[in-house]
Amino acid sequence: MEERTRAYLRGRFRDYYRRATITPPPAANEREWGYIPWTESPGTTMVRHRSLLELGALEDFLERKRPQHVYFSAGRYTDPGASSMGEKDWRSSDLVFDLDADHLPSVTLGEDSYAEMLAKCKQALFRLLDFLEDDFAFEDLEVVFSGGRGYHVHVRDDGVRHLDREHRREIVDYVRGIGLEYDELIETETVSGLGRKTPTERRTLKIDGGWGRRTHRYFMAFVDELLEMNEEDALARLQEFDGIGEGKATATLNAARNNREGIEAGNVTVHTAISQLAERFAATAVERDNAPIDEPVTTDTNRLIRLPGSLHGGSALAVRRIDRDDLADFDPMVDAVPETFVGHEITVDVDRGGDLELGGESLSIPEGTQTLPEYVAMFLMARGRAEKEKE
Amino acid sequence: MQRLHARYPFLEAARESVASQTVDLATVVEQDQAVVDRAHERVVAALEAGDTGEPHRDTRTELLSYPVARVLVSLVNERILVRKYARAEAEDAFDRFTSDFEDTVELKSASNDGLSLDTLLSEFDLEDAVRAVPNEDGYRIDVGTYLPLSADCWGDEWRLVNRALADGEVPIDERELYVLVQEAVRERVEDGLPFDVPDPIAQALEDEVEEIREILANLELTREIDTVVPDLFPPCMKALLDSIQKGEHLAHHSRFAITAFLTSIGMSTDEIVELYRVNSSFGEEMTRYQTDHIRGDSSPTEYSAPSCATMQSYGDCVNKDDLCERISHPMAYYENRLDDEDEDDLEDWREATGGDGEEETEA
Repeated sequence: MEERTRAYLRGRFRDYYRRATITPPPAANEREWGYIPWTESPGTTMVRHRSLLELGALEDFLERKRPQHVYFSAGRYTDPGASSMGEKDWRSSDLVFDLDADHLPSVTLGEDSYAEMLAKCKQALFRLLDFLEDDFAFEDLEVVFSGGRGYHVHVRDDGVRHLDREHRREIVDYVRGIGLEYDELIETETVSGLGRKTPTERRTLKIDGGWGRRTHRYFMAFVDELLEMNEEDALARLQEFDGIGEGKATATLNAARNNREGIEAGNVTVHTAISQLAERFAATAVERDNAPIDEPVTTDTNRLIRLPGSLHGGSALAVRRIDRDDLADFDPMVDAVPETFVGHEITVDVDRGGDLELGGESLSIPEGTQTLPEYVAMFLMARGRAEKEKE
Repeated sequence: MQRLHARYPFLEAARESVASQTVDLATVVEQDQAVVDRAHERVVAALEAGDTGEPHRDTRTELLSYPVARVLVSLVNERILVRKYARAEAEDAFDRFTSDFEDTVELKSASNDGLSLDTLLSEFDLEDAVRAVPNEDGYRIDVGTYLPLSADCWGDEWRLVNRALADGEVPIDERELYVLVQEAVRERVEDGLPFDVPDPIAQALEDEVEEIREILANLELTREIDTVVPDLFPPCMKALLDSIQKGEHLAHHSRFAITAFLTSIGMSTDEIVELYRVNSSFGEEMTRYQTDHIRGDSSPTEYSAPSCATMQSYGDCVNKDDLCERISHPMAYYENRLDDEDEDDLEDWREATGGDGEEETEA
């Protein structure tokens, strides 16, 4: 990045911070703060281990330093400005989740556009929120667009702030479906059946919560789909599974027809074929429901996270808190464009052009010197795809 | 009450009772040999049998032996002793409170010596986090409380991913609740250990401490492995080593896992480089850097091999066998296999290959 470009970005970041109202996170003075200044050297140096006391009033600080990136810690400490973690004296930590488009299995890097990647990321975010709001019943959630390639969720419920990294790893594994054992989702009960000499075991899928409930949901949908088909189609559908031949398919279909109620209640002993089939849907549930969060972000109780309301130096987009009710309609390519950069045009030399959807417009940007809406030019400069031209 | 406190000396009320009755611990240690003997037995039994031995008939002696036992554990000052001792106290507590609960149910009233579940739950501030499910045997516990208490519980069934979590609560059955309470006891006992002991008390207990040290040394709990027999490696490590030797690209965490494992079993950087060398594209530079880093030569931390849970998280847990079901750490697997082998039959890879480590290289 050329000095002229950097100077321009810094200047405009200051203009942004002059007008912006930044709401700090709760207990801001118990957190560590860090930032990356605009520097000439190619390597980025983070200034960290700062307390709010050292930085001064947040908005003043941002206007004065207009940093490239600003972060605060998920952790809260007795002495957040101390230079080592030991001296800081950890007290508690927000539970933070990070969804990054780069890490999503559904994203094809190099093929999906930025907007497409972020759209897929939002789908994953909804899956994540399903876990957090439903399974975990967290109440103090803050959803944030990262300004870059994804979303963050900050959970601050009292009940989880004390958890250390191992405990948080259990939460990560839960959300990602890692370590799921079908057998552990089954409850075994000994029943002395009518007219039976020896008691038998009844195995029931735990359908009241967890991955058992999710497995059951997909399995029932499949069973109902089967029951709506005619015999021939249903048998053919069942035989699409590995290891299910005609005999097993017939047995499964009969069991489904004769005992849908039992299956609905989670009873997988109605027929061995049913149990084996249900097991496959545990994998289906994980494949469809899991949220591919970035593990180290959640398990690191000292992690620094981007400050909502600040600017992302790699995109010149704003890091936005999103109201839960507005999430469905939130479009990062429109809603994260800072107001300050709208309504002006500037001249830049584009090094790498391409298609870009930003600010509600689809642009096809050629290479070379041109005049562009400022927020587009800022985005390209911040990404290292354009340099500022002399006015 | 005295008897209740002697049975459950970790209770807050028991601690207060000790504090109110005792002149000071130094006097007890100097003048009451029965207490010191019982305290010594508590610790020795924890090491040798995993329990805390026979309770003393005299409840005062029994009660006072607990704080003195904690002093002994502190004086020995070994991590492994703290763990074993806390575990033993917790196991005995488990046996006692489960039998108390049964008595309570049978007699329909709690006797003065017995402890009720409600009392125990509130002792550990669990009364709000644990709720009985109406009309059923089970309970529900808040997930934020469940996770720390279940962290050291062994087995897949304790992992959150296999739990029917709903509305922020984990359903547990009665036995599981008792196990979690046992964990709370263990944490309570372990909390604050080891602490600083004033000199006069330390001097009075010198003999007891020395004896415990000897027992500890003979148990070889802290033994270090220095044997390299790849055939006995856990399946996960075998698979990773195999991939490296085939020249396959390994993710950073996988490479870290195998290298940390090899370092923990006593291999030097040179030897690890040698073992990886079967394939020419293994990246010697990278291996050296990483191995030195893991060993702590080039970084402030010495890293240890990841646990089974971590290996699972990264998808590196493969080809599980029966032994895998019984251990929770790849190192434990390897130790087990080494123990099962006749020592004379073990052929250390380093001796077998000698200077000809590259024999198979060109194959």
